[in-house]
Formats: sequence, C-alpha cells, structure tokens
Amino acid sequence: MNRRMRSLHRSMGAAIALFVLILSITGILLNHSSDLKLDKHYLTWPWLLSHYGVGDVKADAIFLLEPFVISQFGTEIFVNAKPVTNAQRPLLGGVVLDEVIVLATDDALILLNSEGEFIERMSAAAGVPPMIQNIGLFHGAPVIQTREGMWRSDFMLDKWELISLQGVGWSLPSPMPESTKKQLVKYFHGEGVTVEHVLLDVHNGRILGPIGVWLLDLVGILLTILSLTGIWMWLRRFR
Amino acid sequence: MNRTHNAFWQLMFISLLFCSFTVTVFARGVNQTNEDFIAETFSNDLPKSKVVWIKDDLRPAIANILGHEYAGLRIRYWQKAQRTAWILEEIGKESPITFGVVVTDGKIEQVKVLAYRESRGGEIQQRAFTRQYADAKLSEQKLDRHIDGISGATLSVRAMTSVVTLALYLTQFINQTE
Repeated sequence: MNRRMRSLHRSMGAAIALFVLILSITGILLNHSSDLKLDKHYLTWPWLLSHYGVGDVKADAIFLLEPFVISQFGTEIFVNAKPVTNAQRPLLGGVVLDEVIVLATDDALILLNSEGEFIERMSAAAGVPPMIQNIGLFHGAPVIQTREGMWRSDFMLDKWELISLQGVGWSLPSPMPESTKKQLVKYFHGEGVTVEHVLLDVHNGRILGPIGVWLLDLVGILLTILSLTGIWMWLRRFR
Repeated sequence: MNRTHNAFWQLMFISLLFCSFTVTVFARGVNQTNEDFIAETFSNDLPKSKVVWIKDDLRPAIANILGHEYAGLRIRYWQKAQRTAWILEEIGKESPITFGVVVTDGKIEQVKVLAYRESRGGEIQQRAFTRQYADAKLSEQKLDRHIDGISGATLSVRAMTSVVTLALYLTQFINQTE
C-alpha cells in the first residue's frame, strides 16, 4: 500500500511539476507587478495581439486620396488614423479638388480641407443631388452619379448640372496601407497587451481560453491529492 | 372568478401594448430630412444657402456655448427676410442629434429634432418639450429663460439648449457682419 502510494505521489509530482513552476514564477512576478512596472510594459508580438483579437482592424470603406487614407469604421470617418467626423451612411468614394477633399455618401457630400480637417456636410438642402451612387472627376471638375443621372459641378459644389460624360475617373476603394493600419490598430487597441495582463492570464489559465481554466482546475485537484498523499506518507513513518 | 382573471390579463396586455407604442413614438431615427425641413420652413420657396466660417473670435465663442470645440470649419444656413434656418448637430450622450432651428427677429420660432440617434432621452422630440424654446432670446450668450429638464434625458436636453443658443448667437453674428 505504501509503495503504491509513493508511486502515485511521484507520478503526480512529475505530471504537475511544470505547472507548479509556471504558477510559482508568474505568481512571484505578479506579486511585484508595480515594482517591476509590468503594467507599463507592452508586448506587441503579432501572434499575441492576434490571440487577444487586437492585432487587426477592419474598415468598412477605404479610399486613398493623396496624401490621405480615408476610412470609415461604423459611423466614424478617419483621415489616416484620426477621427474627423461621422457619417450615418456608408462612404461611397471621394475626390481631391484644388483645396478641398470631397467624400460622398448616398445622401451627402462631406468636405475636408487640404489638411484633412472637417469643413461641413452638404446635403440636398444645400443643392447637392440626392441618391448619390458614386463620385469622380472629369478634367478636374467633380462629377456625381445619382439614380437620376450624372451631375457636374465646380469647386463650390452648390450648383449642379445634369450632364452625360464619357471618361469620368470614378473613385474606387483601395486596400488599407500597412503603415496606416498599424496607426489605426494603435488608435483602437492601444499600445498592445501589458506584460501584467499576459502573466495574469498565464497564471489563471485564461491564456488558453476555457480549456486553460479547466486545466488549472485539474492541476489544483492534483496538487491537493499530492499534498494529502505526502501527509499520509509522512505520518506512516511514525507508525 | 375566471372571467375576472381573464379581464385582468387582457388589461395587462393592452397596457403593455400601449407602453411599447409610447416607447416607439420617441424611438431613434430620422423624423424629417434636412431638405424637407428647409422646404417646409420656407414654404418651398428656397433661399440660396450661405455659410458662416468658424474662425477668429467666433470659434472660442461657439466653444463657450457648446462646452467644446465645434467639429467643423463652417456652418450652413438659409435666410430670407428676417427668418434664418439652421441645421445643427450635437452629440447628446454618444450619438449626434440633428436639430432644425428657425430664428425670426432674434427669437426662436421653431426647434425640431430632425434625426435622433441616442438610445435614451428621445422625449426631447415631443412638441410639448420643444415648445419651451418658443420666443427664446439671447441674454449674455445664454437663453433668457429656464428650460425644464426631463428625467433620463439630461444630456439630450443640454444638447438641444446648446444648439438653440448657438443658432441665436450665429444669427446675431451674421446679421451684425452682413
């Protein structure tokens, strides 16, 4: 009986040794988290950010309007990685005029200046034809395609003439440049994941998701049995 | 006994239906498009829109009224004789609320919620509430009257009061500079 107990004790000890080491080291580090400034140090490993679901951003619309990257996330419009205004409708495209960047949704034109600052939103009340489908340029003049037809204006955008043109350069969506994507990831998700956060998740098993929590439960049970078998064997020595 | 029981549950059901209806009345969405508001205000005889650029002393004055910087470089308005219509947006708690404001002879003629996007506080769309602003004037960059708040709609009421004050201030500004 004693030999069998000793064998069980050894096997369990070997099985959970690695976990005990991890728990001890992470526990000690977490105990001194403030002193070691673990909450101030960020990890930005791509696989880790991806694991935490903070490594990527997905824009609803992206348009490259030199020198800016214009994107839409929900109802927010971004110039590069800076939110400048909101748009309740999906962004359809944009063009660059001399001193103005014009973005189009189906019910309005959103005007930005050459520095990417929001000027104003022009809707049908300001004379912009409704039900816009796309925006483009024809020899430097803004052109919009609506359900009713094609309209051309000048840089003032307050007078539109119904026209039929060939060879309009329509605005097309683009993929997000990597440099802007990195800035947007930083905007939405911050600097990364703190060392303290990762250590805490390793310590409580949540780094592996729900399985990790169950695994730690199992380690806890095995540690309890290990303690009990240890005490039992120690007491046996005095008999 | 059974009949009383049935009557009770029928009454409860009707009350629930009524409650859900009243919630729907003040729900989110577009009440009126900007162009319909302008067309209605000027009886389809639309004046050409103009813009006021937010620069120099006007920017800090607007920031003082709104309690934050105005997120735009110019504001569009429509003016005919003594009537000026403004379409202004202001965030209540999280989402922008679109207001239509008509100023006549330096007083508020009408204020309307054109689009309400907040999840709570939709009671400000009620005419019984917006009537409080009728004939309101500016007094030292503030409204000349107290506006009764609505429980649970504090931020939306604040947004409407700021926008009404802004419309009066901007009308005064454009009339002085023209």
